[in-house]
Amino acid sequence: MTRLLDAPDALTALPNAGKGLIDAIERSGLVGRGGAWFPVATKWRAVAERSHGQAVVVVNGAEGEPQSKKDRLLMTTRPHLVLDGAFLAARVLRAARIVLYIGERHDVARNAMLRALAQRTEPERRIVTVSAAPSRYVAGAETAAIHLINEGIATPTTAPPYPFERGVGGAPTLVQNVETLAHVALIARTGQAPHTVLVTLAGALKQPGVLEVEKGTTVAEAVRRSGGFTEPPRAVLVGGYFGTWVETQRALDLELDHGSMRRHDLGLGCGVIGVLPTSRSPVRETAGIMRYLAQESSAQCGPCFFGLRALADTCTRIAEGTSKPEDLKRLQRWAAEVRGRGACRHPDGAVIFLSSALDLFASEFANDSAYALRRTA
Amino acid sequence: MTNSVLWYTTRGAGAVTLILLSSVVVLGILSTMRVQSRRWPRFLTTGLHRNLALMTLVFLALHIVTAVVDPYTNLGWAAALIPFSSSYRTLWLGLGVIAFELLAAIVLTSLVRGLIGHRTWRAIHWLTYAAWPVGVLHGIGTGTDTLSVWMLAITAGCVAAVGVAVFLRLTSGSADPLAGARTTFRVAVDRREAR
Repeated sequence: MTRLLDAPDALTALPNAGKGLIDAIERSGLVGRGGAWFPVATKWRAVAERSHGQAVVVVNGAEGEPQSKKDRLLMTTRPHLVLDGAFLAARVLRAARIVLYIGERHDVARNAMLRALAQRTEPERRIVTVSAAPSRYVAGAETAAIHLINEGIATPTTAPPYPFERGVGGAPTLVQNVETLAHVALIARTGQAPHTVLVTLAGALKQPGVLEVEKGTTVAEAVRRSGGFTEPPRAVLVGGYFGTWVETQRALDLELDHGSMRRHDLGLGCGVIGVLPTSRSPVRETAGIMRYLAQESSAQCGPCFFGLRALADTCTRIAEGTSKPEDLKRLQRWAAEVRGRGACRHPDGAVIFLSSALDLFASEFANDSAYALRRTA
Repeated sequence: MTNSVLWYTTRGAGAVTLILLSSVVVLGILSTMRVQSRRWPRFLTTGLHRNLALMTLVFLALHIVTAVVDPYTNLGWAAALIPFSSSYRTLWLGLGVIAFELLAAIVLTSLVRGLIGHRTWRAIHWLTYAAWPVGVLHGIGTGTDTLSVWMLAITAGCVAAVGVAVFLRLTSGSADPLAGARTTFRVAVDRREAR
């Protein structure tokens, strides 16, 4: 049994890999670890059949999610594993080029990747270029990465054309998260299906940070390995800012695995588990995150830009006790209206997050709204 | 008698084309400014712009065909399609041919906009700013009725309407309510210099 963070990172010869690797990936059930959990084999086949030796592999280490640290840690400590995955992808997809797309503020991770790259062979190095991802939330989106590499501007674009049809330089392009590529490298080496997940534990914990856990590990166990709570928890945010607020007891019983999460109608997203302490107001916390997500709208689509701003303003009014009588109803209605109305999924993610807050913190939202009414009466 | 019917049709269709084309230009400018009111929704501007543009081509075709088939003028089809090939009023008819061909290109590219992409379509659509004045000059230069009071009034009205619309467009800035925020965001994620 091999784990990503225990695997040797020494430079070794790439295992032989052909089209058979895609079948091995399919059998392993590997899904993308950037947050969307899309089946990797499906994506590779789509690029492979269009490649004709022209495809491009984008190694996505943008990690725009503010709470997530796992991609950085992986690039810093196991850069060769990530590069192995990238070169295997390039070989299997018959790609002509690899682009390392790394967050511009992740200096340590980028330097580690560049040092590892310098140790590779000349023919390998020759096909690799490096692009810096702006430290904005949407910059990690597939189409934003391609837009930056092509035109220097990291805003999402409409799809279709999908990256596997027309991506970097117009060529079929695979954009794959660094953790996913590291798992590919392990599959090629050991033939075993990946059995671990990288998660970032954040919030009211004694030792917050990145853990590599076996699939099926409970959140309770991950909390224990993070030193336990610093104070009584109010709720847990599962899956980062596009994720879902979950009641603490229920969250502790959840298994850290996407398939298991899906059965509970939840998603592991980019693997962030955030603990909200009882000392913090859930309404205020939700308003803060909504404000952040509204500011991260790239202002290309009206419903996203104006909708998220209106939702954030309304949340803030409720949190500050200055809400209007109809504000709570407005949140529900606007949340439903904004969904699915953007060129990318940014508004959808924000609204999934907000809806879970309105459900779980219904009494807090109602209390804070009522407080404003009593004050004006 | 048939000949004079053709001749009157040419002149009438020419005047109607000028009015229609000027309306289309004004509507096009108003649509980029997102003009609207309670009684005038925005789709009305774009819908009228489109339909009047197609109607303009119909009257323009009538104008050209009647002029060519009129035995008195003896122009020939080449003169209607090749600029400055006509021996009769070479300059003024040539301007008319250029305006016609530009408009034909503008309408055809609009009909296949989905195929050629927005950027190409827009570049060609900008040629309207060349086609319209060339067409107006053609009318003033060779129009049989140019100096009649009613035709002077029509020409002056059209020039004034387009002139006012262009002036408003130039002075009104962007009507896109997202333009400011979009520019700010794009500047924040623009790494063209760094590459």
